[in-house]
Amino acid sequence: MKKYIFALLFLLPLTLFANLSVAVTYPYIGALTKAIGADKVDTVVLAKGNWDPHFIVPRPSLIAKVRDADALIMNGGQLEIGWLPPLIERASNPKIATTAKTFLDLSRHVELLQKPTSVDRSGGDVHPEGNPHFHLDPNNILILAGTIKEFLISIDSQNSAVYEKNYAQFSDMWNKKLNTWKSKMADKNALKVVQYHNVMAYFNHAYGLTSIATIEPLPGIPPSSKHTMELIELIKKESPCCILHDVYHDTKTAEFISEKSGIKVVIMPHDVGALDTIEDLVSLFDYLTSAIK
Amino acid sequence: MQKKLLLLSTLCATLTLAGESGGSFDQSKFIPDISLIMDTSFVSRNVSNTDLEKSAPTSNYGEYGTFKEFNTNNGFNLNYAELAMHSNVDQAFELDGIFHHSTEGVEIEEAYFTTKALPYSLKVKGGKFKSDFGRLNSQHAHVWDFADAPLVYNSFLSPEGINAPGVQFQWLAPTPWYMKLGFEAMQKGNGGTFANDFDKKDGEALYVGYLKNSFDIKDASLLLGVSYANGVSNIEDAESAAAIYKGNSEVYGADLSIKNYFNSYSFINWQSELLRRDMISDDVTIGEDKKQSGYYTQLIYQMDENWKAGLRYEDFLQDSYGAKTTVNASYKTSEFAQLRLQYSYDETFKMYGNKKAIDEIILQLTFAIGAHGAHSF
Repeated sequence: MKKYIFALLFLLPLTLFANLSVAVTYPYIGALTKAIGADKVDTVVLAKGNWDPHFIVPRPSLIAKVRDADALIMNGGQLEIGWLPPLIERASNPKIATTAKTFLDLSRHVELLQKPTSVDRSGGDVHPEGNPHFHLDPNNILILAGTIKEFLISIDSQNSAVYEKNYAQFSDMWNKKLNTWKSKMADKNALKVVQYHNVMAYFNHAYGLTSIATIEPLPGIPPSSKHTMELIELIKKESPCCILHDVYHDTKTAEFISEKSGIKVVIMPHDVGALDTIEDLVSLFDYLTSAIK
Repeated sequence: MQKKLLLLSTLCATLTLAGESGGSFDQSKFIPDISLIMDTSFVSRNVSNTDLEKSAPTSNYGEYGTFKEFNTNNGFNLNYAELAMHSNVDQAFELDGIFHHSTEGVEIEEAYFTTKALPYSLKVKGGKFKSDFGRLNSQHAHVWDFADAPLVYNSFLSPEGINAPGVQFQWLAPTPWYMKLGFEAMQKGNGGTFANDFDKKDGEALYVGYLKNSFDIKDASLLLGVSYANGVSNIEDAESAAAIYKGNSEVYGADLSIKNYFNSYSFINWQSELLRRDMISDDVTIGEDKKQSGYYTQLIYQMDENWKAGLRYEDFLQDSYGAKTTVNASYKTSEFAQLRLQYSYDETFKMYGNKKAIDEIILQLTFAIGAHGAHSF
């Protein structure tokens, strides 16, 4: 008996000092979790930033990554519906069950745009809860950082002071950046744009850009020649500034449209790691607010 | 009759749940995820349906002369309409039901609970379910890369695969890579090698065990698995009901796949499996010992969100008359609808005692509606 108590005494400090292991779906959530959690949290990012966030491959190696996680943070709004459920199901880890208090769905904490009034699959791959790419409004980043702070405190109250301090630092820095980006984008207000998929909805919303059409005929459905020809006519009529294009789809159709209509294609990274130069959240929005010339 | 009742009762249950919506005792929010998958095909082959039924595949050992579960007839086929339901039962259990409807009736393909709150990365499943033996056995037909299952699966594990009432234990090892260990005990009489057509005794089960590993090298995922099944083989001839084998059988499986992703939409997957069965006879006057191995190896290339192509080669290592080669191409209009054209050249058959190569073209359409869940890797 004594032996066991000794062993327990030895092991106890280890568990006390062990970091919280938090699995997150996308790199931007990882960046926020690192900013708030700093050295108290080990962050495991599941998806790569340069891949289509709708089509992450549910590799078995990812099951091993979430198997021992203490918590899971996801984007939500059905962005992960094509790949996260089988990982959660097969990881046999009650801590990452969607009903666990160590599971966080960020979409529940921000207001989603473009919530469809009715959904039908003949309208393409529509997200019934609204557009899930909400982190691309830099104002939402602060809300998300606050949500993650509260979440970390709720599961690791011992370090609440650390999380509060890191959050305060982050929000000071971010508020200054918000002003810079706002003034940079001031002259872009009411500018019309075309996109491949409506990824930049929240960025456009934040800075008053209007997205008039997408290269996809329907959400999630690859370009068709009929739709492309119609789009070229629309561009000639409406004269948008440019085509905002993600990093993961082929730019072939966009370049064809560009050639026929004379408007340029602008690559818009959607997450940390989407391009080699996008190393953190600040460089992501620095890039995005400079991209449209 | 029973089958019709089952269908009616499942539909009634969903309709009554849906009917109450809006009232003070509204339970409509608790409707499980429901989906319907339909698979239909047009088949053209150089052998008549009757002749195909009379022909014997090289590895045949029992009742399934045509080796076919789907695409059986020359001309039009409704392969199945599969109704699937899934929901959490409570904080401890999930429940899945998959009802396989065909022109012959309704069958409970799977109905099982899964635990969701066990510690130490453990999971228990119980009910009737597809065994996790090998790489393909647990997969449903609509996720197959080909319109048909490999011959070695059909002949060793039966056209339905290992699918029986039982219990499954799975454990994820705390390794830096993915490692899963599983054990299953199932009611004997699965069919295929493990048929239990006569001399039935209580208490003997079909046992299955497997170890699966996976790790990544850059954008490629490697999967390596070994599987083992052991059970009674008391096999009768389907037509004459004469005993043709009595004993015990072991099936060993080894699988390897390397799947490399070029981007979010395009990949190449090389997948191979080798199965071996050792049938040990209790009575050589009924049937002798039989040792046999078979394999398939396949290459799948997904070009983009719409197009996919596949090539498969398969053969048996003993008692083989020849190999089977299959090529196909499929086009998806979305995640929920797929058109597939498949051609195969099959030299593994004997018809009326003579070798007969079978040419087969299948045009297959598969649709899914409702709350269709994501597929695992």
